[in-house]
Formats: sequence, C-alpha cells, structure tokens
Amino acid sequence: METSHGPVEPIVQIRDLTKIYRQGDIDVTALAGVSLDIAPGEFVVLMGPSGSGKSTLLHLLAGIDRATSGTVLVQGINIANLNESELAGWRNQNVGFVFQSFNLIPVLTAAENVELPLLLTALSRSERKAQVRTALELVGLGDRAHHRPDQLSGGQQQRVAIARAIATDPALLVADEPTGNLDAKSAADVLNLLQRLSREAGKTVIMVTHDPKAASYGTRSLHLEKGEVERDVRATSFTP
Amino acid sequence: MTLASFVAKNALRNRRRALLTILSVAISCALLVTLLTLQRELTTPPESEASSLRIIARNKVSLMQPLPYKQLTQIERIPGVKQVSPFTYFGGKFRDEEATGWAQFAVDPARFRQLIIEGRITDGSYEDFIRDRNSCLLGRDTLDRYQLKVGDKLKFTGTFYPVDFEVRIAAVYQGTVDDRNCFFHHKLLDELMGGWGMAGTWYLCADSPAVVNDVINRVDATFANTSAEVRTETERAFQLSFVSMFGNVKLLTGAISLVVVFTLILVSASTMSMAIRERFRELAVLKALGFQRRELAGFILAESFALSTLGGALGIGGAWAFWNQMDVLTFGHLTLQKLTKGFMPYFEVTPRIMATGAIVAAVLGIVAAIMPMITMSRTSVVEGLKTLD
Ligand SMILES: Nc1ncnc2c1ncn2[C@@H]1O[C@H](COP(=O)(O)OP(=O)(O)O)[C@@H](O)[C@H]1O
Ligand SMILES: [Mg+2]
Repeated sequence: METSHGPVEPIVQIRDLTKIYRQGDIDVTALAGVSLDIAPGEFVVLMGPSGSGKSTLLHLLAGIDRATSGTVLVQGINIANLNESELAGWRNQNVGFVFQSFNLIPVLTAAENVELPLLLTALSRSERKAQVRTALELVGLGDRAHHRPDQLSGGQQQRVAIARAIATDPALLVADEPTGNLDAKSAADVLNLLQRLSREAGKTVIMVTHDPKAASYGTRSLHLEKGEVERDVRATSFTP
Repeated sequence: MTLASFVAKNALRNRRRALLTILSVAISCALLVTLLTLQRELTTPPESEASSLRIIARNKVSLMQPLPYKQLTQIERIPGVKQVSPFTYFGGKFRDEEATGWAQFAVDPARFRQLIIEGRITDGSYEDFIRDRNSCLLGRDTLDRYQLKVGDKLKFTGTFYPVDFEVRIAAVYQGTVDDRNCFFHHKLLDELMGGWGMAGTWYLCADSPAVVNDVINRVDATFANTSAEVRTETERAFQLSFVSMFGNVKLLTGAISLVVVFTLILVSASTMSMAIRERFRELAVLKALGFQRRELAGFILAESFALSTLGGALGIGGAWAFWNQMDVLTFGHLTLQKLTKGFMPYFEVTPRIMATGAIVAAVLGIVAAIMPMITMSRTSVVEGLKTLD
C-alpha cells in the first residue's frame, strides 16, 4: 500500500478518529475527528492540556479502547475489525505498553514480569529466558533480574516495564506519562532509553507527556486541544 | 516461570488471606463431614440380624428405677419372645480406680447366651460361667487392657448399689460392638442385696424381625396400669435415646449442613472477590499485554479452585483422622465407641461422605470464582487501568 505522503509507508494511519463518551445526557467528545500518519521509527510526543484527549488517542491506537467512528490502521490492519481475542493477540505481538505507575506485578521478579507477555507466545522456556535476558540487559538491569519490584527504585521499575514492553519485539511502543512518577535523573534515563529504542531498534514510540523537557526527546510533537490536533511539529534537531 | 507458577504466586501473594481462606474452607468441610457422619450414624439400621431382634424393656418412670423380678415369667410367656434375661447395670469401680470407663451388667447367664450371639468365646468356657455364680464373662478389650487372664479375680466396688463383690473370669468374649463389658450372675447381685427381687432392665430377643414391633407392643401392654409400667424399645432405639432429641437430629444435622455449605460459599466467594478486586488493575495490565478474558478467567478459577480444594483436603482429611483414627492418634487410648460406650458403633467417616465433602469443596471453588470472573470480563482495559490510579 503506497501513500502519497512520502517515501516511507506509515506504520500508523489515523483517519477521522472520534471518541465520544456518553455520560447520562451529556456527550463528552474526547477526540473530534483526528487524522494523522506516523512513520516507522518516529518518536511522537503527545502534548496538550489535561483532558485534551491524549490518553484517549493513545488507547485507541494501541487497541485497548474502541473508537466511536473513524479508523486506525496499524501496518495496514484496521484494528476495529479485530474481535476481542484477536485484538488481544495483536496487542501481544505489536504493542508494548509503558504506564505512568509502572504497573509491574508485585509478586513477580523483574525477569518474571518481563516474561509475562512471552508466556502467550510459542517460545520455549529457554528461548523465553534468552529473550528476557536480552530485554533486561538492553534497559541496563541485567543484574536486577531476580529482584522484586519493591526492591527496585522507581526508575528501575519503569525500565523493567520498558523491558516488558519490548519483550515480544513489537513495532509500537506506547507510553502514557512514563516519567510522571519519576525524579529528574530517573526520568532522563527512561527518556534516553525510549529514544535509543526508537533510533537504534527502530521502534515507533508514542508518548504522552506534560513535560516540555521530555518532549524534546521526540522526533515530532503533536499538540492536542479539545480533542483536535492543534500543532504537529517535527523536530529539526535531536537532543544532545 | 509457567502459567501454573504464576497462578500459584498470585494465590499466595497475600499469605494471611490465603491461609484464612484455606482454614475457613477446611473447618467448614470438617464440620460438614462430621455432620454427615453423625446423620449416617443416627439413621443406620442395625447392621446384624441379631441386634435387630434385640429389645430392651425398662421402667417407664426412669431408667434408674428397677423392675420387679417377677415380670420375667410374664415376659417369657409373651408370643414372639424367644428369650429374656435380666440386665442390670451395676456401674461399679474396678479395683482402686477413681472411675471405671467400662460397664458391669448382672444377667442370667443361661438366658443371656442367646442375647450375645455375636460374641465368640475366645478363652475359658461359657459353661463354666453358667455353672459358677461367682464368675464372670469379660470382654476381650478389658482383658487385654489390664493384662488379665481366665481365672483372675476381679474386684468391684458398688456406686449405685451399696455392695462390693469379687468374681473370677470364667470366659472371654469378642466380636460385639463393645468388647469391654463384664457380665456376672444376677443371682449374685440379688443375694448381695439381701434378696432384692428386682432387675434393672429386661433384655429380650424376638423370634424374627417381623414380630419385633408386636413384641414391643405386647410387653408394654402386659404391664400397662401395673405398679411397674415398662417402656420397651429396640436395642438400637434404646442406645440412640441417649442422643437427645433423636427424632429431630436428622433434620437438625441436615439443616446445619445446609447452613454450613451456604456460609462456606458466602465466605469463600467474598474472600475470592476481595482477592480479585484488589488486582483489577493488574488484570487490566495483563489484558493490555495480550492475555485474553478466558485466560484471566482461568487464572481466577484456578486460584479459587486451588485454595478451596486445598482447604477441603485439609478439612476432610482432618475429620477422617480425628474420627476414624482416634485410636491411632491417641495411641489406643480413645475410640469413639469407647467414648460413647458403644452407642455410636457406626460413627465412621466413610469414603462416600468424604467424596461428598470433596465435591462440595470443588463446587465451592468454582462458585466462588463466578462473580470475580464476571466482573473481570466486564471491565475494559481502560477502566481497569483507572482503578487506584
Ligand atoms: N471513561 C470516560 N468517561 C467519560 N469521559 C471520559 C472518560 N475518559 C475520558 N473522558 C473524557 O475525555 C476527555 C479526554 O480524556 P483523556 O484522553 O484522558 O485526556 P488527557 O489524557 O489528555 O488528559 C476528558 O474530557 C475526559 O474527561
Ligand atoms: Mg491522560
């Protein structure tokens, strides 16, 4: 499928995406007809005031929520056409999630948390182990594999969460305010890591943030306002 | 890590709650098994034909009140009565014991023979017992317990009766529901009491099971409106009359069992819901990672099922050990038969009752998981992620 927008085929194509929440008699429009393309390897930063629809957009393109109208194509697949269980399988293979509050399973070690999404794959035990080690080493926590979340700092927990997000080697990484609960130093580590994943591993990263400093790590920033894209800025230079 | 070890880790994450859940299921299952066993005990018909033929007649006023000895000849003449013997509970103390846990009964040895036909004579001879009025017939268990042998003298001190006596062991019996008793000559008791002329109760044997009820009615009728009216019932009913409210016990145990099962379901279902509710967000995360609703439902079910079957195994096993292995657990010092002096000969946790308990525990594990599974599958990833956020 060739598009006229550029030489690279977009990994995500969003058309007229609308999400309306019905609360009693009142309709809340979270997204009002958003259209945009995201190229593979881009590091997109979603910004905008609270309630502008950033999380909603992220949820829709990551396949954990359904749009009221409009389409999301990821690698040519209209995810609205997938049923619940197909969508779950699709997420497992194509999307990695990073949350503000880490959301690791407290009873599992770092390695086990990273292994979770791999349990759904056909990989053997030893293949899973190898993949877990690679992911943990990539985030710089190879030596913390057997620590439980409560034995790790916030920044380390978030890096474990990133390792979990990349465990199945998905093309898309979505992150909703991943540095919101972190101190400046840990936040910088996490942002550097996401940047490296996009630059070196070719991951397409889509990150929601409030922090303009965090935004500077991206290759492109989208400013949302009342459910619409207000500004779409491509960075000309990368952060040192 | 495997899915199974993931489930196990989740189930045990809150150790105190897991333990409480397991214990509550265990205690309830043990209670249920006990109640079912009690119910079986109280509704099991006599197991041998011999015991189904036996009848006891006692003073209508009270068991403590003796009956005139002259009733014997009247009972003997009642159609359907095959044999009758006086049967008087002596309740004495053996040697210097503070209290003696086994009973002595005064009987007419020649007549009594037909009334204790399950008993085999293992030592000595019954004829010897009949011949010598200063001898006794002793149960094997008591013989072994005191390391006695035929020919030994047993000394008893009266408690109800103001007399003491000494008898020689003439014969030893074994094979009845209670192999601990000592039977001695009613004549001896009568003599010691200075020509008492009374008997504690009458022990009868009917010709056939078909006439048992008729015999009971006839005996009652024979002494109606006399100075010593009797109350006649089967041996089994007599034994069970010691369990108060016999008539209602079956209903009562049934009702309590139902309440136990119901409470069990409520308790486990609510602990299970609690365990799942506090993990809603994690379940949402797992969904985001690609786990499907049916997989997560499987986790919830497996966790609930594991906890409740573990509790069930513990409770049922415990009840079995307590009731069936009491003698082993107490190194032979206690059995329920001994505790109840033979009134509960069938009190046994049967495989059938254990299976019933196991089914209840398993069903419980499933039922307790239903609500959490429904709530989990109704909650979307986005909703789930918002909880506690
Ligand atoms: N489940 C919901 N029910 C009703 N309204 C919602 C729901 N989720 C989000 N909204 C509304 O949609 C709008 C966009 O929300 P969101 O995408 O979370 O904003 P952001 O992430 O930019 O702060 C807000 O007005 C919010 O109140
Ligand atoms: Mg948000």
